Parts: sequence; C-alpha cells; structure tokens
Amino acid sequence: MRIEISRRRFLQKSVALMVLGSTPFAGVKLLADTKNPGKVAMSRQVPTLCEMCVNKCAAIAHVRDGIVKKLEPNPLFPKSRNMLCARGTAGIHALYDPDRLKYPLLRVGKRGDGRYRKVTWEEAYAYINDKLTRILDEEQDNRSCIGYCAGEGLAEHTFKTFMYDKFGSSNFLNHSTICLQTAVSGFALTIGNYGLADLENARYVIMAGANRAEAIITPDTMDLFKRTRGRGAKLVVIDPRYTSTAMHADTYLAIKPGTDLAFVLALTYVAMHGQLYNTAYVENNFQDFEKYRTHILDSQYTPEWAEKITGIPAASICKIAREFMAAAPQAIYYQGRRTAWAKNDFQLRRAMALFTAMGGGVDVIGGIVFGSRLPLGEHPANAPLYANARQRIDKDAAAVIGATGSWVAWRDMVAEGRTPYPIRGMFVYKQNPMLSVPDSTKTREMFEKMDLVVVIDTMPSDTAMLADVILPECTYLEREDPVQSFAGIEPAIALRRKVVEPMYETRPAIDIMRGLAQTLSKPLWEITRKYDEDVQEEIEANSEEEAYSDGGFDLVEPFIHSQEEINRDMVVSKHGEDAWRLLREKGVYYPGMASLFKKIDNNTYQCYPRNKKIYSVLEKEGPDDQGSDAQRSCPTCDPCMNPADFTPWKRTFATPSRKIECYLGSMETKGIDPMPKWKDEYNIRVPAGKFTFITGRHAQFTQTATQNNVMLLDLMRENYVWINDREAQDRGIALGDLVEIESSVGTVRIKAFPTPKILPQIIFYIHGFGSTSEAMTLAHRNGASDNQIIEGTIEPVFGSAVMHETLVTVRKVRA
Amino acid sequence: MNYAMALDYQNCINCQACEVACKQENGVQLGAEKQRIWVGIVEGVVFGRPFINTYPSQCNHCIDAPCVTVCPTRASHYTKGGVVQVNPRQCILCKACLEACPYDARFIDDTRVAIDKCTFCDHRTAETGTTACQATCPTKVRTFGDLDDENSDIVKLLKTRRFFFQKEFSKTLPKLFYILPEDEGFARQSVAHNTTVYTWEDIKPVYEQAGKKRSKEWRR
Repeated sequence: MRIEISRRRFLQKSVALMVLGSTPFAGVKLLADTKNPGKVAMSRQVPTLCEMCVNKCAAIAHVRDGIVKKLEPNPLFPKSRNMLCARGTAGIHALYDPDRLKYPLLRVGKRGDGRYRKVTWEEAYAYINDKLTRILDEEQDNRSCIGYCAGEGLAEHTFKTFMYDKFGSSNFLNHSTICLQTAVSGFALTIGNYGLADLENARYVIMAGANRAEAIITPDTMDLFKRTRGRGAKLVVIDPRYTSTAMHADTYLAIKPGTDLAFVLALTYVAMHGQLYNTAYVENNFQDFEKYRTHILDSQYTPEWAEKITGIPAASICKIAREFMAAAPQAIYYQGRRTAWAKNDFQLRRAMALFTAMGGGVDVIGGIVFGSRLPLGEHPANAPLYANARQRIDKDAAAVIGATGSWVAWRDMVAEGRTPYPIRGMFVYKQNPMLSVPDSTKTREMFEKMDLVVVIDTMPSDTAMLADVILPECTYLEREDPVQSFAGIEPAIALRRKVVEPMYETRPAIDIMRGLAQTLSKPLWEITRKYDEDVQEEIEANSEEEAYSDGGFDLVEPFIHSQEEINRDMVVSKHGEDAWRLLREKGVYYPGMASLFKKIDNNTYQCYPRNKKIYSVLEKEGPDDQGSDAQRSCPTCDPCMNPADFTPWKRTFATPSRKIECYLGSMETKGIDPMPKWKDEYNIRVPAGKFTFITGRHAQFTQTATQNNVMLLDLMRENYVWINDREAQDRGIALGDLVEIESSVGTVRIKAFPTPKILPQIIFYIHGFGSTSEAMTLAHRNGASDNQIIEGTIEPVFGSAVMHETLVTVRKVRA
Repeated sequence: MNYAMALDYQNCINCQACEVACKQENGVQLGAEKQRIWVGIVEGVVFGRPFINTYPSQCNHCIDAPCVTVCPTRASHYTKGGVVQVNPRQCILCKACLEACPYDARFIDDTRVAIDKCTFCDHRTAETGTTACQATCPTKVRTFGDLDDENSDIVKLLKTRRFFFQKEFSKTLPKLFYILPEDEGFARQSVAHNTTVYTWEDIKPVYEQAGKKRSKEWRR
C-alpha cells in the first residue's frame, strides 16, 4: 500500500518519519532512488559544513525519505570554491557507519579488552559524578587533577568551555603540539600572523614538505593546481618523496629529512649576498635586519655549504633564490602546516617567513596575506576561580608552554609518574591520542595510570577502548554546531546545520556538556565549599546562593540555550535578522552576497568580484606625496592603483616592534636562538642499515578519524611502506612483501611498496591506519600505525612532537 | 543533442573525489574493482627523475560504440544525446561488450547481475548541468556539455583549446576530449608522440555528421 503524503502533512510529521527513515543501514548497495517516479519523494536539501577533515567545506545534503543520499558542494562558500573531495562526499558513511558508537557505555572488563555494558545517559553521568567527586575530594578540589584533550572541530570550544572555564582544570591538550604549533607560532612571532597564501595570484611558490595535492587545504589546493604547468604559478617542490604535489612541480628536488632549515638559510644567503631582495620593503618594515644579514653572511650559509647537508645541488639553490626574488613580491615560501619535522622546526618556520618577507611578499596580493574576518557576537561564560586548582604539570617542559601544553611531554610525565600532583583522570573529546601521539605504548601506560577515563566520540577508536565511560556524540550531519566566521581574502560566515535527527541515543557535544553540568554542578560545588578558602570567605561575606551563581560555579549556565539560539544571537547581534535568515537558508553569509555572487559557468562561481577582495589589511604609511588616506587603509579597493606602487610602503605589523622581527630577544632569554641558525647537532647521521622514518597524509583519509569509512576503504584498503626500490632489491623485498619495522619504541608489520619516488635511507608510510580496536570492524588491523614506532621526542620551543627523527630497521618477514 | 565531456587532465591531483561522488550519486556497487570512472595513472622514471601522469577517465560514449553493436540482446543501447546505457533486465552477462570496449569502461555489477557503466549522470544533468564527478572535482578537471550547442560550456572550451582522444585507433569516435596542456614540457610528457591533436574546426564536421547519422537511434 502506498500512501500519498502532501508536502505540508509531511512537514508536520517530519520528526517521526525521520526517525523511522534513518535506522536501517542499506547494506552494500547505495541506490539513489532514481526509479519509482510515481512515488512522492520527500526530499529536502540542507546546507551544512563538512567535518571529514579540518577545512570545513560547505556542502548541501540531499535528503530523501529521511536518509542522506548525497553530499554536493555549496558554491556560495568562497573558502571551499565549489568542491567536495573524496572524504567530503563519503561523509554519509560516517553517519551510517555500522560500527558507530550508538549508546552510552560503561566498561565491564579490563581496560582495553573492549567489554562494555550499554547504559542510559543518566547512569553514565551518575558514574562519572561518583568517580569525579571521590577523586576531587581526595585531591582537595585541585581541579587540574583531571586532564582533557580535544580534536580540532567547531564544537571543540564547547567542550573546552566546560572543562576549562567551568570545571576549571588547567591541563588542556589539543592537536597543536602534534600538529602545526611551530609553523603557526614561527610565522606569528615573525610577521605577526600565520597568514594565508594567496595562491590565486602568486607567481612563484616554494612548497617544501607541504603536499597540497594530497593534504588538501581549501582554497589553497584548488587555487594552486589550476595555475601550475605554465599557467602563472611556478611551483618548486622540496620533499624526500615524489608526491602528487611534486608531479605538478616545475622543479622537484629531493631533500634529506630535517635539513630544510639549511636550504632556507642558503636561499637567504644568496638573496642577501647578491642584494636580490626588496630593499625598500626591508628598510621600511624589518626590525634588526642588519643583525640578521650579518649573521647569515658571517655564518657562510652558502649554497655549497647547504648542498652537503641537504643533498640539493648548490646551483639549484642559487637558481631558486634568484627566480624567487625576481617574481617577488608575488612569491611565497609556502607556510605549510603539519607537525614539527625536526628539533629546529620553529627556526625553520621563522627563516621561511623572513625569506618571503625579504621579497616583500607579506600583506600584498600574490604573497602571504592576512585577509579579514567578519565579526560575530560572543557567547561568554562566567568562569569561576578555584583557589586550589594548580598550574599545568608540563609548564616547564619547553621554553613556551601555552594553554594547549605539550602533548608528548604531558603524557610522559603522567606515564612516568613525574607530575607535581597526581593526574587522576582524563576527558577525551574527538581525539584519538592512541594513534595520533607518538609512542603509543607510552600513551597506553598513561591511560592505565588513571582512575577515570571518559571518551566522547562517534567511533569506537583505539582510545575509546581504554575508556571507563564512553559517551556517544552524534556525527556532524546530525547536529548544529557553533557558527563560525572564516577569515580570508573573501571572508564569510558559514553554518553547520543539522541535516537529520541524531540516530540511536547519540547527542551533540553541547547536550552532553549540559547533561554533565546538570549532574555535576551541585556535587562539585559541595567539594569546593569544603576545601576552597576563598569560596568559604565569600559565603560568609555574602550568601551561599550568591557565591554559587555570581561566582560562576553553576556549571550549567553556558549550556542553557540550544546551539541554534546561541548561533542566532551571535549572528543577529552583528548582522541583523536578514543575515541570519540567509545564513540558515543558504549555509553561507557575507555582506552583499545576494548581489555579488554570480555563476560564470558550471565550474566557476564568483563570490567576491576582484575589486572587493581583501589582500592588504595592515595600516600603511607611504611617502607623503602618494595616495590618499583611503588608499592607505585599503589600497586594493582602488582599481586604479598598481599594487607594486604600495608594496614597499611601511606597514604596522602585529608584532611587539610593529615590524617584521629578525631578532627575538624575548626568546633569547629563554635559551632559544633569537635568529634562525644551523647547529651541528641538526645533522642526523643515519648509520648504515638504518632508515629515517617519515610520515605524511594523503587525500583519501583524514588522520585516524575516517579509517572505518566503507567508501574510502574502496580507494585504499591499507597503507604500504615506501622504500627506495634499489634498497628494496638489495634486501630482496618486492611489492606486497610483509616487512617488520622496528624503532626503539615499537615494532610494526606492514606490506612493502618499493619505489624510485623516495630517497635511499628513508622509509615512509601514511598516518591513520593500523587500528587495533576490534570494534572498528572495517579498519581493524589495516596496515600499520606510524605512532607505534615514532619516538616521543619534542622540540625545545613549544614542546611539539618531532615526527621525522626516528631511526628504524627494516626486515623482510615473508613474501 | 550530443553529450560529451572535456577533461583538462593537467589539473588532476588524483584525489579520487570523482570516484566517490560517482559511487554515491549512482549507487555503484562497492569494491575497488567496481568503478564507473577512475583516474588512470602512468608513472615511471626518466633519467633518474620520477614522473606521474594522471588521466581521469570513464566511458567515452563513443558515437560508433562497439559495445552497442556487439550486444546480442540490445541491453547496450543509446539514449538521448548519444549516451550509451545498459538495460540490466536485458543483459545476459555474455560479456561481449567487456571485450569490445577499447577503454575497459564496463564491469559486472553483482547486485544487478548485469553490466554496469557510466551514464553521464543522465538523471541529473538536465537539472544541474553537471555530472556528479564534475560538480565535486576540486580542481575542475571536467566540463560536461552538448556538442550541438554552440553556447555550452564544453563547446566554448573546445573552441579555445586543442585536444586529443585516447585510443583513437579504435575508430569509435569517442567523446572524452582530453585538453592538450599549454605547457610544452608537460604536453610532451603526457601525450604520446603519434597522437593526433585536433581543434574544434577540425573535429566539428566529423562529429556533427556522425551524430546526425545516429540521432534517430539516440532518440529511440
């Protein structure tokens, strides 16, 4: 029997239908229902933001009968340029993954054996409450005895608001120190901001280590590869591996891992020695340039010197430096992201920033730009002060330990029992440190020392399998997340809207935090009252009620409103009701969108016209006789003005000296080199028979988060280890042979991929495979995990994990 | 109408977004070997220097399609615009078309128990103007369109660029137009020396005539 349902009646019943429609997993056949034309289709299109990686591309979800059938790109969002990559399109299988976490779970077996019991949310909260109050009582309200970590995402801040602002622990960890901390800070401390690379207009790009064809970053990837191969952007790729980015390069040069700093110093030497740099720009905008120049020239960082260290011919270094400076200021030594490679990573990023800046390529079209950000209202939380909460344990682990700490140093201190006070538990949100932090054995030791481990995730990851309590979050297609404003040349606000109702008993992070807060608020207050002398005084002076609510000890307060209400307030307060309506309807908003957005052809859309794009944002000061005041504040808005005319103008950078910083005196006092400098200890000698292990990404999986995705597994079932083909031949290793790779911290077995695309004495395999969680039925034991063998060493500035200094041996196990 | 696709293959970064979008859009059977579209890869080493060429590919929807001629049950047939389709209910899995296709563009769909292949997303192009693979592509390799329409994206593109075909020796009048890279070095690296390179002026009359001859079949 088929019942005709009018659209209106469907809308009334949409909730019930969606619950019905969303339960079955359609087996292996994923039929888009193109047959049955007679059937009344109940289809909706909902704009959302992808969460399959960190880029947050805009997508439109096509929903039919309550089931998400297809994710299409949303061309309105300037950052994602009308595209959705393999992972973005496969996002549906994050939603319909058969192995998803479906219910709150309590551990019944030993840690790690994977035995759990299904419980209600109330039972899970009660269990956490019971354990947490006991721990805090024993630790006399030292909130920092509970650590917490979060993966990158729009709701990361919601979790942090609860753990940091409200619960009050200082021991926060996130992806920074196993990710791009050194790169971001290296650029920020030198030119004031990490910046964006304007690859739509750059004429010369050096991409060293960065791999934009495989590690997709929007809009960089789309902008660059439409302009390579003689179409405006010369591309130089420096990498120990020949990657999909290298196949687009005009010049590809293989470099020994960890020696990039020597390469940049030699480029700098050539530019300084021949005075090839933009002297007016440097004169106006550099602080302590003379010191840097003297240092580089006196240290004799010649191309011949660098050749011996890097393996890159001196002639190539000279040529690249000359070509770069000839193309400058539309020339970029691409910032890159990723992890720290070697202990000198911070110095490397500084040298890269300074080299680009010497060409004048900062805050100009075609260089590194800062873009602009549309404002959003705030959603403040009243953060209580806990007198007994102590400073983070790893504060002295490196020269500069910020609010996100040093993952490796923190982990080591807990695992080795070297903490100034006990770390009793950990809350993990959307991160999988068992696979993402170097030296997995040690990470496991850390978790095993803890009395309470709570994991909030969508998948039963390796880390979830070590939890006492697992709280299932719904996937990004089932929740509205905090609205975000995206800075850029074409700034926009974009919104992740809920596409379908949460399946099973999963909940969005904000609901989980609200539930936790409601359960924990009063019991934890009792403990604070018992131990916190400041609070006791406050109660005596005023009343308990006042101390509790005015002091911010009511943990529920930031989570009272729904995400939708909060988002509405944040947008309406700055841009008005119409903007909010447009944002909800289209998924994207920027002022003037309705008139500026144009379709040019089926592949090309215009978000901002060229004269409205924001390239140069810093306050400028030109010679008195040039340019009006308006041009100084925003010269690109004037189409009559040639950018070359104001490139060398004096700018106000967001650094302490308001200039580009060659010499960091503040770092010197902390024992860090104030200027990029090569040291003998950076020369890593790889003994015969050993290999340097390097790791990386590719375009089909994101870190460890997508490894159970059935659609992506079609593209790559497991990872293979790259080994130079000649070395493989010497060892009798052929394609597909099983090899054992051993480092000082672990051993893995993985299939071999002998190839000429990698230098000798280096082996590589991609990150994100090798899950040992049996609950991930599709990902279980596919290939190997890199962090099983990477040693837990850190660099001295931020305590970032050093990922490319581990030496390993390779042994053939069987053909 | 004469549907075709141009591929600016030099943009390809081998991210395989097209493969996933195709599977999701069309409900293609899962499995690495079950592909309606794919990124062809040629890699090697010349004088010690590695190189990779990528050729995104799919069914060429040839005007003289051997898969249609060889089919004993008319399961393989033309539809509007010269799109080559398979009717799974008529397919007896004799696999003659698998042998006949010069491009290896067909495979066995075990769930339909029939041959499956690219349909140029004929269920959506009227509405969106794009196939799923084109719409999702990060670097916009593909341009789908109607060769008979002077104002279509594809004809506009083909008028400005030179192009070539894969396996032209099969003489099937294929309709994947590979755009010749402007960069001479890359063109030399990625196009075989004996490949014929065409302009729109060269090819228009040939394809127009062949299309006209077949147009009755295409509408049947």
